[in-house]
Amino acid sequence: MSKVKPSPLPPDTMIGGYRIERKLSAGGFGVVYLAVDNEGQQFAIKEYLPSSLASRAVGELLPQVLPEKLSLYRLGLKSFFEEGRSLAQISHGSVVSVLNFFRENETVYMVMNYLEGGTLQDFIITARDLKKPKVFRESTIRSLFDEILRGLRIVHQHKMLHLDIKPANIFITDDNRAVMIDFGAAREVLSKEGNFIRPMYTPGFAAPEMYRRDSSMGPWTDIYAIGACIYASMQGYPPNDAPQRIEKDRLSLSLSRLRGVYSDNLIEVVQWCMALDPLERPQSVFALQKELSRESARRYTKLTVGERVRLQFDSVVSDTKKTARKANVLGTRFK
Amino acid sequence: MKFSVFQLSRIGGRALNEDRMGYCYTRESGLFVLADGMGGHPEGEVAAQLALDTISALYQKAARPIVSHPAEFLASAVLAAHHRIIRHAAQKGMLDNPRTTLAAAVVQGASVSWVHCGDSRLYLVRNGQLLLRTRDHSFLEQERAGLNELEPVNRNILFTCLGSPAKPTLEIAGPFALQQGDRLMLCSDGLWGSLNDAQIVAQLSCQSVSKAVPALVESALLAGGEHSDNVTVLAMEWETPDEFAPTRLGPADSTMDGSFASTLDAGGFDTQADDLDDAMIERSIAEINAAIRRSAARKT
Repeated sequence: MSKVKPSPLPPDTMIGGYRIERKLSAGGFGVVYLAVDNEGQQFAIKEYLPSSLASRAVGELLPQVLPEKLSLYRLGLKSFFEEGRSLAQISHGSVVSVLNFFRENETVYMVMNYLEGGTLQDFIITARDLKKPKVFRESTIRSLFDEILRGLRIVHQHKMLHLDIKPANIFITDDNRAVMIDFGAAREVLSKEGNFIRPMYTPGFAAPEMYRRDSSMGPWTDIYAIGACIYASMQGYPPNDAPQRIEKDRLSLSLSRLRGVYSDNLIEVVQWCMALDPLERPQSVFALQKELSRESARRYTKLTVGERVRLQFDSVVSDTKKTARKANVLGTRFK
Repeated sequence: MKFSVFQLSRIGGRALNEDRMGYCYTRESGLFVLADGMGGHPEGEVAAQLALDTISALYQKAARPIVSHPAEFLASAVLAAHHRIIRHAAQKGMLDNPRTTLAAAVVQGASVSWVHCGDSRLYLVRNGQLLLRTRDHSFLEQERAGLNELEPVNRNILFTCLGSPAKPTLEIAGPFALQQGDRLMLCSDGLWGSLNDAQIVAQLSCQSVSKAVPALVESALLAGGEHSDNVTVLAMEWETPDEFAPTRLGPADSTMDGSFASTLDAGGFDTQADDLDDAMIERSIAEINAAIRRSAARKT
């Protein structure tokens, strides 16, 4: 498993009339470069180069694919095309736009507009490290997700699901726009049920039905992920993953710690979106938008003394567990 | 879950390599095993192999995709291995049982649990420091720890192992939380008999496990000279403590390389894979570019 990642194309390589400036990021599906065209305009170019299936030596242009991996490589290429197709049909400020698609170096490239800023995940981590009671202000959360939901609604209108919504895939630009990126998991599923390949998932943000084969996914699957993103924006950490929740659901408990900090309505929205039963969630983005924009007269319920004591007791118990574990380790060490 | 792992076993100056090692994993859990078949008894290499096979087979049954109680699992799997060795000896009508020492670890949920029996060791190294290592079940090590007052003894004398008629002493520890960059190493006495802990920790910390393991084995063989014992090292580096996990592939995850086929559910993936020829690729690209132009036209 200690795998060598395929090496990225070096700066100043020319591909499809664009000059590569540098690598921006690399993921399981490929490498994203910052590149400029001959007019000096900047673009983000995504290269299909799955690290588990293809290799490329330093300084080489062409990736090598092992013969036994070829069919998986081609299959991955198909979903790269799916991503291109999905994005090509959508033109919305909250959805990253694809501008060109071309073939070179025996692989394919997707040209997208280059966004400057950071992912929501970066912002959450920075904000939570300030150790304030609130990670983000409630009004920030509401307006951020209102913007995301507008984009998501368009995505769903095109009979597509994103299926990998998470803070790392929500980009916040320096000019304060929220943009959904990385539609690598997106599939045109709303139209052709039964012909569905289970896509990728991210624990914590993936709805329970993503883990099951029999159940059907729908807008409610993306809505679960939106709820989990709002949760992460309030708590600073992602929620427990769905299998853990099915075993023992601590969602209400951890949300109750936020009572008084965030309004009851926002907490209820998260709980609604993240219902384990798909039917209990908002069934469409529109339904969720309506609830999220009901901002009149926020109600804050403070914790009762009893509840506060119980919460404190919980943290004492978990502290004791930690101490016990430490003692255990020392025992092994000095025996 | 992401980690790098590297393992290497060399025969040294012996006629036979009686060490065995191996690992397997699911997408959320990993098992690492090292067994050192004992000399002075018959078929040490068989005992080591049986222990490895038994534990990994039980793991593959239990890990779906995680083992529900790693400590309990390790205890019962190692005991099962012990009984399997005894059965093997009985079936073959052997006068003396084959024996092996063993160290095994289960890593899941960003923490590690382990078991050891005899003098195969587990080391845990963080930021260049030895965080912990197992204490051998040998009279020498017990004496060092001040637990008994015997005369100086041969380090090779163990008071427990798998395969002996007496029930083995298993020392189980964990779960112990891992941090990014932590290195977990299992090794046979061929390594620690020739190198001291400081040397082991230094070599293990300064480079990736894929380089550190061969370097460690090489140093031990050099130090052990022409009669060097078998040297076996299995090390892994923990790479993902990230609270924000990366996207994972679904059940047909191709990165799992089939080392653990039983949990892979590859249905529905390969069936449509072969219809994407060059003409299709060109057509897809043309379609996408046409869609891009249409969207751009709508926008303006």
